[in-house]
Amino acid sequence: MKKQECVAMLLAGGQGSRLGGLTRKRAKPAVSFCGKYRIIDFSLSNCTNSNINTVGVLIQYRPFLLNSYIGLGSAWNLDNPFGGVHILPPFLGDEEGSWYNGTANAVYQNYEFIDFYDPDYVIILSGDHVYKMDYSLMLKFHKEKNSEITLATIAVPWEETSRFGMLTVDEEARITRFTEKPAHSDSNLASMGVYIFNWSTLKHALIADAGDYQSQNDFGKNIIPQQLNLGKRVFAYQFHGYWRDVGTIESYYHANMESLSDGHFLNIFDQKFRIFSNEDILPPHFVGLKAEIKNSLVCNGCIVHGMVSNSILAPGVYVGEGVTIENSILLPYVKIHAGSVILKTIVGENAEIMNNCIVGAKGVVTPDQEGITVIEDYHIIPIGSIIEAGKNVYSTRTS
Amino acid sequence: MPNAIGIIFANSGYAILQGLAEERPIAAVPFGGRYRILDFALSSMVNSGIRTIGLVTPHQYRPLLDHLGAGKDWFLDRKAGGLFILPGVMHSLAGNSHTFCIKDLQHNMEFLQKDSVENVVISCGDQIFNMNMMNALDVHEEKQADVTLIYKENDNIDDLTDEVFLELDESQRVSSIRDQKGLEWSESDRPHYVNMLIIRRPLLLDIVEKYSSFGCMSLINILTKNLDVLKIYGSATRSVIRTIRTINDYFDQSMELLDQEVRERLWLGADRIHTKIVDNPPTQYTSKAKVHNSLIASGCTIAGEVLNSIIFRGVILEKGCKIKNSIIMSKCHIHENAQMEYAILDKAVTVHEGNVLKGRSSNPLVVHKRTVI
Repeated sequence: MKKQECVAMLLAGGQGSRLGGLTRKRAKPAVSFCGKYRIIDFSLSNCTNSNINTVGVLIQYRPFLLNSYIGLGSAWNLDNPFGGVHILPPFLGDEEGSWYNGTANAVYQNYEFIDFYDPDYVIILSGDHVYKMDYSLMLKFHKEKNSEITLATIAVPWEETSRFGMLTVDEEARITRFTEKPAHSDSNLASMGVYIFNWSTLKHALIADAGDYQSQNDFGKNIIPQQLNLGKRVFAYQFHGYWRDVGTIESYYHANMESLSDGHFLNIFDQKFRIFSNEDILPPHFVGLKAEIKNSLVCNGCIVHGMVSNSILAPGVYVGEGVTIENSILLPYVKIHAGSVILKTIVGENAEIMNNCIVGAKGVVTPDQEGITVIEDYHIIPIGSIIEAGKNVYSTRTS
Repeated sequence: MPNAIGIIFANSGYAILQGLAEERPIAAVPFGGRYRILDFALSSMVNSGIRTIGLVTPHQYRPLLDHLGAGKDWFLDRKAGGLFILPGVMHSLAGNSHTFCIKDLQHNMEFLQKDSVENVVISCGDQIFNMNMMNALDVHEEKQADVTLIYKENDNIDDLTDEVFLELDESQRVSSIRDQKGLEWSESDRPHYVNMLIIRRPLLLDIVEKYSSFGCMSLINILTKNLDVLKIYGSATRSVIRTIRTINDYFDQSMELLDQEVRERLWLGADRIHTKIVDNPPTQYTSKAKVHNSLIASGCTIAGEVLNSIIFRGVILEKGCKIKNSIIMSKCHIHENAQMEYAILDKAVTVHEGNVLKGRSSNPLVVHKRTVI
């Protein structure tokens, strides 16, 4: 087997429970984003665009749809005879083996996979971030600094520092302090959850961590602070560009809607750094005689007869006559039948809203989650229903 | 999986289409927002379960090979079988139509010899259709036919020039194959052959060997001559089948796609039409966009007005432009306040600010590839 300089380990096993109805049937990385993409497309395309062609995808929670979406990785040009995409589920051995218990534990359990490719470096990625990043520049930085561990960082607004793992660095970008979600921070550099390790450093760190029964086996909470305490050369690589964690309904909604604004940093239209996806084969979308579409994104296979504004229509969506859709995200194959009104709502994949419904209606009390309504995948809303803003509508229970 | 391999003659049909098919064969002419005409024949075969397909190339085959690559997007990058390029011969005069020329097959005998399947499905590459050929293959096997010709009934055809008409007995056996000469207009709704047939592979090998010395003979002529000794049956199809011979055909058949029923029969059913994937982002509508009764492919930016039109992938329509009854192929850029009606813009055309292009419904205006106006 050909030795690889750098192997990527993509953490895609998390449940993503804060995305509610969107992740009850699929893992978070397989959730639709910005119309035709799925969240994992960004990390996988980044790998391709950074010449990293060996990717281990660590899966655990509801993996079927994610696995079938990734397939052989050919959609991202990752069906490479020397490397390629490897799906890495939890497994049993003679005596060892268990579910993945923390991000570091997931990588630890697959050390044989990494050893197989005998890399110099391992890059740890998260399957639930939306960004375009050339990892090869970060690797170059890592080598130049003679670093053992490099963390990708991004400057965040000062008022949001309590949401992230914050880093304090010295003048040569070496990290002096790492604090997870601090109340007050002396720096506005947040960790993006992208790490490059020398494989030898990572291997020792993982073995030590696995022997520590107090540890939660997490990169951010355990591995990085431990290694800093040991005095390892840990550096911060500053990333300039668009990066979003889409772990909550609110952040998922805003990251999607941001793509509608002009001069958007993610710039999905940039052909030099393309985001690839494993799309269904669908014909061009059809816009009916009475349709009106303003300030929206529309994908292949859609049929639009109603009014759509400030919204995103994923592939295969049907919008009937007399329908109004505002500030909403319709995921693949959603059907909205005649006369319905959809306001500030995320409608899950294959969900169907029958005639004359109002979804996202103004209620008497102040709505939850900024008034964003979420309809679960495959859910059918019966004729004439009225659903108040901020509700999460599930197939089997309402909350 | 059917016991058959496929051959598509991408060199059948010849027309310039006012320049659309000057530097590319008709099979490679863009159609329907994101397809090339060949996609329809290729997808129909793939959707029928055929995974070994030979493609007879016309002389300007670069655009076709560019589009097809290794055939991956049609699932034809197979370890066993897959897509085979069969270089076609140069025929006598350009413009002479030679549908299913024997000489093309003679030069590619190995493709037919090395496989061991029983049947060969042959189709032309210049028709627009979505047909599952399993039905015809079933008829072929049930009748133990040597050859099965696929035909259509009751199609109102205006132009009979190249049509081949069939007479069938009650058992669906073909008793006569004839062209339009001496045919009354009232008879034009009789069964006509749609340039698709199924033939036993050993028989086809035999025919190619025996007739190759005759030069450019077409397969259907040979079958007509041997009607008495071969068991030739017909199999009817109800699919929408369109042939493009003139620029008006191209325009009308494109516009037909705005009809929901045509789209349903052509590409919204269970069998999809596959094409080269280019990973475009979704199409972006700005707050100035006004689009009605149109088909829009992916990767476009739309800030202007569009009515009754077909917009291909990656087109930019700036604000204030007005597109009416037009076809705009991929990567065209229409600047502010430009207007057009009954225009067909080939790929990568730029129309600068304020220009007005006008054709007529009976004579649409064709703008050549990469023109800057």
